[in-house]
Amino acid sequence: MRRDFLKLCGLAGLGFACSGGLSSLLRADTKEQAPYEGPYYVVFNASGGWDTTYLMDPKGIGGINRLYEEGDILTQGNHKFAPTEKHKTGGMSNEEFYKDFGSELLVLNGLDYSVNNHSPGARYMATGKLDSLAYPTFAALVAACKGPTCPLSFLTFGNYSATGNIVAMSRVPYLPSLQRIANADSIEGNQRSPYHDDFALVRIEQAMKDQHDARIKQPALPRQERAESMLYAAQVNSKAMERITPHIPKNVPKERLAQQGEIALASFKAGVCVSANLSIGQFDSHANNDVDQMKLLPEFLAGVAYFIRRAEELQIRDKLVVVIQSEMGRTPTYNQGKGKDHWSIGSIMFIGPGIKGNRVLGATDEKQFGVAIDPKSLALDKEKGIRVRPEHIHEALRQFAGIADHTHSKKFPLGVADKELLQGFWG
Amino acid sequence: MHPALWMVACFLAFVPHVGRTDDKATKEVPCCAPVNAAFFADEVWAKVGALECLKCHKVGGDAEDTQFVLLDPKRVQGDEQAEALRSNREAFTRMARAKEGDQSRLLLKVVGGLDHGGKQVLKPDSAGHKVLMEFVRRLYAPLPKSPVPADLTNAPPFFEGVAMLDDRRLLRRITLSLSGRLPTDTELAEVSRDGLKAVPTLVDSVLKEDAFYDRLREGFNDIFLTVGYDDVPENALSYEHFSTTRGWTQKFDLSHITDEAERRKAGYKLSDDYRKAMLGEPMKLIEHIVRNDRSFTEIITADYIMVTPYTARGYGIYEELKPTFKNPDDPLEYVPVKLKALISRDKRDDQESATGFYPHAGILSTFQYMKRYPTTETNRNRLRARMYFQQFLGIDVLELAARVSDAAAVTAKFEIPTMQASECVVCHKTIDPVAGLFQDYWKFEGVYGRRKGGWFTDMFGAGFEGEDLPAEERWRSLQWLGERTAKDPRFASTMVEHVYYILTGRKMLQPPKDLEDPLFAAKQRAYQEQRKTVERIATKFAQTGFNLKEVFKDWVVSDFYRADGLATVAANPQRQTELDDLGVVRMLAPEQVERKVAAIFGKPWGRLHEQTAMLYGGIDSKEVTERATDPSGAMGAIQRILSNDVACKHVALDFSREPAARLLFPNIEPDVLPGSSPENDAKIRQAIVHLHQRIIGRSDAVDSPEVERSYQLFAGVVSDASQRKGIDPREAYSCRQGLLAEVPDPKYTVRAWRAVVTYLLRHQEFLYE
Repeated sequence: MRRDFLKLCGLAGLGFACSGGLSSLLRADTKEQAPYEGPYYVVFNASGGWDTTYLMDPKGIGGINRLYEEGDILTQGNHKFAPTEKHKTGGMSNEEFYKDFGSELLVLNGLDYSVNNHSPGARYMATGKLDSLAYPTFAALVAACKGPTCPLSFLTFGNYSATGNIVAMSRVPYLPSLQRIANADSIEGNQRSPYHDDFALVRIEQAMKDQHDARIKQPALPRQERAESMLYAAQVNSKAMERITPHIPKNVPKERLAQQGEIALASFKAGVCVSANLSIGQFDSHANNDVDQMKLLPEFLAGVAYFIRRAEELQIRDKLVVVIQSEMGRTPTYNQGKGKDHWSIGSIMFIGPGIKGNRVLGATDEKQFGVAIDPKSLALDKEKGIRVRPEHIHEALRQFAGIADHTHSKKFPLGVADKELLQGFWG
Repeated sequence: MHPALWMVACFLAFVPHVGRTDDKATKEVPCCAPVNAAFFADEVWAKVGALECLKCHKVGGDAEDTQFVLLDPKRVQGDEQAEALRSNREAFTRMARAKEGDQSRLLLKVVGGLDHGGKQVLKPDSAGHKVLMEFVRRLYAPLPKSPVPADLTNAPPFFEGVAMLDDRRLLRRITLSLSGRLPTDTELAEVSRDGLKAVPTLVDSVLKEDAFYDRLREGFNDIFLTVGYDDVPENALSYEHFSTTRGWTQKFDLSHITDEAERRKAGYKLSDDYRKAMLGEPMKLIEHIVRNDRSFTEIITADYIMVTPYTARGYGIYEELKPTFKNPDDPLEYVPVKLKALISRDKRDDQESATGFYPHAGILSTFQYMKRYPTTETNRNRLRARMYFQQFLGIDVLELAARVSDAAAVTAKFEIPTMQASECVVCHKTIDPVAGLFQDYWKFEGVYGRRKGGWFTDMFGAGFEGEDLPAEERWRSLQWLGERTAKDPRFASTMVEHVYYILTGRKMLQPPKDLEDPLFAAKQRAYQEQRKTVERIATKFAQTGFNLKEVFKDWVVSDFYRADGLATVAANPQRQTELDDLGVVRMLAPEQVERKVAAIFGKPWGRLHEQTAMLYGGIDSKEVTERATDPSGAMGAIQRILSNDVACKHVALDFSREPAARLLFPNIEPDVLPGSSPENDAKIRQAIVHLHQRIIGRSDAVDSPEVERSYQLFAGVVSDASQRKGIDPREAYSCRQGLLAEVPDPKYTVRAWRAVVTYLLRHQEFLYE
């Protein structure tokens, strides 16, 4: 019956058809799962729309920027970036960020978000699909493919976080919450005070397993099948939460991204998490663009840097894939309130093992319009090139993560023609 | 009859006409009309017209001035829907028959030809385009090109093979869901005697209970999120209009409390109660409407708000209202009141009003709603307009944004893209007029306030779907909108969908969009079956004076709410897809879990709040606005803590009560040992049957595998313990606190029962609905 169900799921293209998905859940037993050991995927999101001309796509001409001129633009290796050291009100300047990470950093400029609204833009950037509400975010997809049984497989702290029903989403808003639930079978989390004697607990778990095994043999509605499997897996796999405790820092950082980062890092280190969406908002600088962006971009970069450094301390940096993005850019002109409105052209950045750094792909022109690129050579090609859109990035990400041919990925095709695949994107 | 079957029947009946159809077929041959009607509805309209053309080609749309203007069937009910489809079919037919050269203008326009204002809508040879090609072909040769797919012709009745919840369990689901309690013995007896037909009457009683109104407010807050505005609650009352009254708690005389600490504590409570009352006003309006069987259109037309003695002080109207309250000291006693037009600190900003009263329009004009969905200089009330469409008409305008070939170029090319670029106009022509209706609520920090210099002229003017707001109605523009909304059939359907969301925790299916999807037909059928039920309930809702209770009653006896299993495994992918969303199968929200624990054990667990509730998938109505639907590992851990802890707190406690007062173990004592005699084993099994019934709502037979499993757990734990040395003859310390009498546990039976209760609390039947 179980085999029949899986077969049917496969035929129907249902949410749990992949070998690592529902079948893993159905196989779940009372043994503790082995820790997931990477790669770990983290997506940093500047929610609201960042001003790329104050970071990785500097202009300084045509009134696009009021804080610097074209001649002030700085370089680090092959990177060009806007000077922010003098203007930041905290956090990390571009100068510091590029000095520390420029050699590892891959930048794509001229990304065509295609839309000017937050909600569709966030959805498009997160999933690679503009016109569907059903698609999972990349973070959810990679979690479902690589670690569906991890108790906190897909962590999210905001931004668009749809799962496509292929993995459960975890929201862990505060570090202390993790501590409280780490030892679920002990009174107040104190391992010396178990609720049940060990032999009773073993009996309970065995009864749960017997009940689950019997349940999945009975015909049921698809929703019932999914619920039964996900519930059982969640309870069984939650035992692995115990591994988090040693990695929870005693001191909770004050910064927004650092707080989120510590939760994700502890979960990565404990082998209970595959991916995390980290996000801070307020980038939507319709008024006083420069003031806001000079506060937020340095805060954002500082958060990224904090995360990478802490990953190094935890000895997982070499398994960390970092995506740095926003759902839109900001106009090349200022409005009457010194702000900048929504702009459908922007950038995205990557750091991680297997990603060749010190590279800048794509471009915008002097008016901040996107320039097309040749998908084969990745060189600029205004005449015959393609406009790089989120689906191209997501297809590349799927290939990079080795999940492009996974059943889950195939269930959510991005529709990128072979001739438009970005070749050699990761270097 | 399924439309496809009708199509086939008609096809067979009119085969003799084949070959005689020629160009003169521009006059529709009567025999062909049914074929085309079904094909038009299922194919042309469902796959192209409704998804694409209607965006612009409607009154109020960007293409309203063309000759191709369509009707939205969702804006009418009953027979008028068929009439709207017929009208649309005629419009399509006219456009399809009109030719440019030898080609149909319909086929040319849709791919961007003939200077189509909406540019290219479908790619040549895409699935949608092929549907239109077939439509055009049939106008001249009304025969299907190929046989109708077998999967459609053989479609069984939608609910065939789906097992429905038995009536007793249905009643349990209803009472737990709507009033957080178990059904009474009397109610169970009634439903056992009269079956499903007894349910509506029983539900009538449930819908009068206070607990239902707690759930109603909670459920509608999940939709409107009005408790989540970003400020201290009393600041919903703007400084400009309520500067001297909104902070009344700070000046309230508590000098009669001599102890300073007590006085401070009383001050905190005063403030907390005031804030709670302020946050609660919009949802209390919903409660007032439903509790008093008023027309639910009042959520957008009510010319009053709900206030309490505490919030009335904030508005500065307490003294005049005081006689209205039954208990003026009750901070949460709400009464309806009509506010006077707002007086500002600056006379020029006084509220305009032809009646002297604030132009209330149900929830829409409440200060809390405005605060929850604030405007900005650039947003220009568009967020409010978007939420209005979503919450009152069921339209998510940003759900599927149109892809623009080069959005940046469009932005740069046009002076006012939202009024000039067709890619932008398609949405803004609908959104901006409604945004304009909120124009008098322009203050960012406060709520009411007109924009200096008048409303924006680089936006479409205020109105609603093609109808301009008359100048003399501007002061009451939201009332004007509310009146139109209440008459719009989409309002009734949307409210029916809201109730479904409250009952199931998920939204209705959306129409499938991917025409290339091999499962499109199955998804379409699942969607259409839901829509049929929604439309049926919505029509009745409107016909019965918009009494929302009727909607709850209709949903809970519907097949969608009662579906509970399959008689046999669905044998093919199409059928699996059709059934994919069927069944309530809802993971309970933190609040619901607490209520269920209270219903079964006599008191809530008390730990699923604040951070733990968030971790368990709850919402804060601000940043986190959608409840988790699937359990993560973290939630699995909380479920284990809950099952351990609730069992720990209640098993020994229950045994410490007199048998007649027990909830869990009324018919057994801890000294009954498994395997000691057939009689004792029977007692134990009966006790397990009772636990199954009470905790997981299953009516299992004594000799069922489920009862056997629980028995084996109980007996196994007792057996294991008997073989251990040094076992404490008492329950664990934490689990024997607060007992009413000593409950010794020399044979470990109390703890074994605790293991059984823990086990049951981890079941889907307990944690899900």
